[in-house]
Amino acid sequence: MRPSLAVGGTAAMHEGTLVSRAQAGDVTAFEQLASAHTDRVYAVVLRLVGDRGEAEDVVQEALLRAWRAIGQFQRRATFATWLHRIAVNEANRALGRRAQAGSSVPIDDEGLRLSAPPHQGPARTAERGELRRSLELAIAELALPYRTALVLRDIEGLSTREAAAIAGVGEAAFKSRLHEARTKVRAAIGDAALLAAPG
Amino acid sequence: MRFFRRVDEHAWSRSRLSPYIDGDLSRRERLRVQLHAEHCPECSRGIRALRALLRLTESMRALEPEHAPASIFDRVRADANSTARDGARSPEG
Repeated sequence: MRPSLAVGGTAAMHEGTLVSRAQAGDVTAFEQLASAHTDRVYAVVLRLVGDRGEAEDVVQEALLRAWRAIGQFQRRATFATWLHRIAVNEANRALGRRAQAGSSVPIDDEGLRLSAPPHQGPARTAERGELRRSLELAIAELALPYRTALVLRDIEGLSTREAAAIAGVGEAAFKSRLHEARTKVRAAIGDAALLAAPG
Repeated sequence: MRFFRRVDEHAWSRSRLSPYIDGDLSRRERLRVQLHAEHCPECSRGIRALRALLRLTESMRALEPEHAPASIFDRVRADANSTARDGARSPEG
């Protein structure tokens, strides 16, 4: 089952109330509304920019833009999709500035290396860890539209519909980017390494 | 002639392996990939490799979840405070 961004029932009603209060200028309501999504937005942005400091800067800026634009939020998409889209656009701008400065996506020990679940044995954990590292490097090499597609759909597990809305493209174009991204990552990691991976 | 047909079939199938594993192909297209892969070691391996890649990307989700830093709303708060201050200072009140 893919984890969706959508909220339903009472939570959706509560969200509607918070949106109205935030649109009336209530910053506490905005924080309550956005804080339900900031961990996930931060995780997506971190995967896109590859650096914790820069990810924080991007998300802070995205939240500021969302706060200033909340009056124009028309509820055609969910608040979560809207916020994710602002954050992905902001990550795009940050990476554009970085490209102009001539640096690439940093992947280092302070970047994306995350803790493995505790239930795996040491050898298996090391093998998985190495493969994940190869995956992170391969993702970092992708152009942003492809990286965004792979991160939103395959890593974050969003539906094609949600992920395409966040990426700001139609579903057909999104799928095309996703398939291209997988092909490139598969080539970078190599079939032998993928097929030898512990299940 | 048969060689060219086989090459075309291979290129066609190879470019559809990712939609195939996502279930995004029509029934007819799915069958065409399946039939080709039964006799093509490269495409058969490609399907298994893509499935392994999806297991790997999914496993990233099981890692310790990321938490946004506590300071994440600092700019929003500063902006809201400065707007409130400017509002309080304005002659219109």
